[in-house]
Amino acid sequence: MGNFLSFPILIVAALLQATFMPQIRLLGGSPDLVYLIVLAWSINVELDSSVIWAFVGGISLDLMSYAPLGTSTFGIVITVFIISGIGQQVYRIGFVLLIGSVLIGTFFQQLSIMIILTITGYSVDWGLSLGYVVAPTIFYNLVFILPLYWIIRRIQRRVVPEVSSKPTR
Amino acid sequence: MRRGWRSNRVFFFLLCLLVCVGLIFGSIGGQLGGVENILSTPLQFVSTFFNQSAQGINNLFSNFSDVQSLQERNAQLEEALARSQAELVELREIASDAERLAELLDYVSAVQNQETLTAEVIGYDQNNLIRTIIINKGARDGVTTGMPVVTKQGLVGRIIDVTALASRVLLISDPSSSVSARLQTSRAQGTVQGRLTGSLRMGLIPLETAVEVGDVVLTSGLGGNFPPDIVIGQVTSVRQFEFELNQEADVRSLVNFDTLEFVLVITNFVPIDISVFDTETTP
Repeated sequence: MGNFLSFPILIVAALLQATFMPQIRLLGGSPDLVYLIVLAWSINVELDSSVIWAFVGGISLDLMSYAPLGTSTFGIVITVFIISGIGQQVYRIGFVLLIGSVLIGTFFQQLSIMIILTITGYSVDWGLSLGYVVAPTIFYNLVFILPLYWIIRRIQRRVVPEVSSKPTR
Repeated sequence: MRRGWRSNRVFFFLLCLLVCVGLIFGSIGGQLGGVENILSTPLQFVSTFFNQSAQGINNLFSNFSDVQSLQERNAQLEEALARSQAELVELREIASDAERLAELLDYVSAVQNQETLTAEVIGYDQNNLIRTIIINKGARDGVTTGMPVVTKQGLVGRIIDVTALASRVLLISDPSSSVSARLQTSRAQGTVQGRLTGSLRMGLIPLETAVEVGDVVLTSGLGGNFPPDIVIGQVTSVRQFEFELNQEADVRSLVNFDTLEFVLVITNFVPIDISVFDTETTP
């Protein structure tokens, strides 16, 4: 049930990201809704489910972009493996873990996109991209992660009852 | 047992990365083009409704915030109107002269001859490093790759991807966009490139050219990608560097690329691929 839910949730999030989010750009950055939802989902579920969400989210994003298919997916997939590894080591999902995951994960995700775009021949101004796009995106993601995590956690408790055993601090 | 191979995390991880790399290369190579079109067509259709809602909400907020600045702006516009009316009279005289001369030369302005198709913007690129928009006109409406896209304020970009119902436009503000341009007053040639900040930069302007702040930048038509004499923007600052043979200027477009709602596709312009002349031919 949880995996099927990824389609409507992440497709709607991708559509919002391509229509609503550019309207609230801070410099060149905007909230990365799909990435945050996948990250919030991955913290409490098994790796199999996280990977499905990562692929559905990543491909939905890539379909809404000029970038080659797989560009966003690559970074998201790596992030969910790291998050899943960390999630297995801790008993409680703390505030610091959540914020740390967003901070480092967003940076890594954006970096992987920049690397892929550069490799595929797209013109990327690295200095400007880091200051003008990546930094504001990290800021927005830090603001949005808490409400999104709260929503995703409630959905998980309804559709994936076994995840409710891991408390949030 | 079924999950055996997936329980090996390293193997599972490498397999996932391999799939991602396969997707990237399949997409670049064009092998996944058909699948991408099939999957993106319903998304583009739905995004029309999302974008209309987004524009509605955005307009609502901007209307509130604009009220205070409107009075100030109104005074400025009244002053500008008075100046423009005087210029208009002068320009009408010049235009009638030009028309008579054009008739003598049997010349028809390319701008007057443009056929356009109005399209609604239905989405932006979700990737903040890329500046493209999606419009609701596609192959069914006669849109093809390479067609220029404009608004009344000036050049917007060109069509780079077409599906049955929608098309993707590469904005001139995208870092990979490059437009052959010239300055209206001095006729000096250069190249306008996009920047992530939304501003434009005109480079390769000969050093001996006098570039003034406020100069209008137009498409030159060189390279065959755009028709000539479409407004790109106005020069806001000029920079000269020591030991450089060229100078560059910052250009501000009159088009607000973040709030585009409707655009015009120039449908009767056929881009010319002049790269064939670059290839060396053996006698």
